[in-house]
Amino acid sequence: MAATRRLQKELNDIRQSGLKSFRDIQVDESNILTWQGLIVPDNPPYNKGAFRIEINFPAEYPFKPPKISFKTKIYHPNIDEKGQVCLPIISAENWKPATKTDQVIQALVALVNDPEPEHPLRAELAEEFLKDRKKFTKNAEEFTKKHSEKRPTD
Amino acid sequence: MSAESDMEYSDNDGDDYDYYGEQDDCDMEAVDRTKSDPEYFLYTCLRVEEVEKLLNESIELLSNSLQITPSLAKVTLHAYEWNAQEIINKYKENANEVLVYSRVKSRSPVLQASTSRSSCAVCANTPPMHKYSALACGHYFCNDCWAMHFEVQIMQGVSNTITCMAQDCELRAPEDFVLSHVTKPMLRERYQQFMFKDHVKSHPELRFCPGPNCQDCPKCQICIEKNGGCNHMQCGACRHDFCWVCLGDWKSHGSEYYECSRYKEDPNMSSDSQHAQAREALKKYLHYYERWENHARSLKLEEQTLASLKSRINQKVMAGEGTWIDWQYLWDSAKLLKRCRYTLQYTYPYAYYMENGPRKELFEYQQAQLEAEIENLSWKVERAETTDRGDLENQMDIAEKRRTTLLKDFLEFHTTTASSSKV
Repeated sequence: MAATRRLQKELNDIRQSGLKSFRDIQVDESNILTWQGLIVPDNPPYNKGAFRIEINFPAEYPFKPPKISFKTKIYHPNIDEKGQVCLPIISAENWKPATKTDQVIQALVALVNDPEPEHPLRAELAEEFLKDRKKFTKNAEEFTKKHSEKRPTD
Repeated sequence: MSAESDMEYSDNDGDDYDYYGEQDDCDMEAVDRTKSDPEYFLYTCLRVEEVEKLLNESIELLSNSLQITPSLAKVTLHAYEWNAQEIINKYKENANEVLVYSRVKSRSPVLQASTSRSSCAVCANTPPMHKYSALACGHYFCNDCWAMHFEVQIMQGVSNTITCMAQDCELRAPEDFVLSHVTKPMLRERYQQFMFKDHVKSHPELRFCPGPNCQDCPKCQICIEKNGGCNHMQCGACRHDFCWVCLGDWKSHGSEYYECSRYKEDPNMSSDSQHAQAREALKKYLHYYERWENHARSLKLEEQTLASLKSRINQKVMAGEGTWIDWQYLWDSAKLLKRCRYTLQYTYPYAYYMENGPRKELFEYQQAQLEAEIENLSWKVERAETTDRGDLENQMDIAEKRRTTLLKDFLEFHTTTASSSKV
């Protein structure tokens, strides 16, 4: 299967490069198509915690894009209650087989750090983000403290 | 419409009047009508062969006058909305600009060392140098990956706009490049079909006929037509998967529970007036009737599938690709599908007359299971040539078991109650 060789290489590369914003990568040896890891954002209000995500690669990878979902609840205009996230780089129309998972992760981290209220998944949060940034930041911070995982210390 | 009239229109700067077409042989009456009714315009119905001829004339004209391949001519015509004269003029002025605009050439110069040919960035394999190819952008990938990329894109309905596999590269793969990598006859044919559709859509003077059995896609509202028996629809334009019966998202049908076959009674009905009860009764009748009728229509389409399958098998046998016995499983699968649909169709009147209770719940549960498996079977039969034989036969077995289970449980029950009532 084309997916296995490519994913094994990507996994090695990512582990070696030591991304600061994506840590604790866990991959079940029997199934390389599912990855879990911790997103560690830099910008407030999300820099108070870490967020676990799951990346699911289809069997046709890299000819079809992976899917990403948040396992940790997050107060974010572009991520809904089910943990679904709208990331253009992995949409079926935009997907490129040569796009690497670390590029996808970087795009995701950028989206978490800087929400894009122009195309939200949660309209009410996007509105709050645009109209009352103080309130949004306060809510998001409280939510992060309550639900997010601990940030890696090293 | 001819290629000449095509060029004439291009001279008046593409103003909206083009839309009304063929004004040169309009009589006074028709001109009046175009003025009084802004939505009215003259049109001619063309057959597929006539459209192909019309498109080919433009392609030939362009490839002859610019000395470019027909494949390249198609890409530029698609980009410039089939305005051959405009392309010719611009090409003579600045050929590079036309190629860049048509997305077959990069704006920035190609960096020779941009991609290596020692390992393929897509599959991470290391095939020998001569097994790589690239578009004009110079992004080299191995031929196996190109073939797989094209296969996935074609199966998703993309044709003219398939791009290079590199991140952020917008270059499009021209027809000859695609076809040099795609060898499966079914895929090549599908690619050509989508190309044709795309060409018609990009042509300012051509529109697909909104025929009678057309329905709108629930997501993008483009006209769609059911062309097979399977109720799992995929919109050709936006690739939205939905159910033909309830127009709901197909995702909710993928699980073991097939909801749209079951009628949900309004729980507050008893407290309502007689009038509301009558309406509810009608709604219930229509629910079952619509499903019955829909499966009847699917059954008719299944007959067409059967006929076309037979001719395809004959073709294969004549071409020496195995004997009839080798392909008989395809024939059997289509026949089984027909049988299953027939059974399913008549489960609806049966369910309509059943009394509410656990017995009916069980029936509708089994009916839903059968329906889900039939849709799986139908989906696979329609793609029989690309589906693995074992997979298809497995699905046939599942569907037939569901069918016999349902019949055994309820047909027998029915006959025993019928005979006991006689006593």
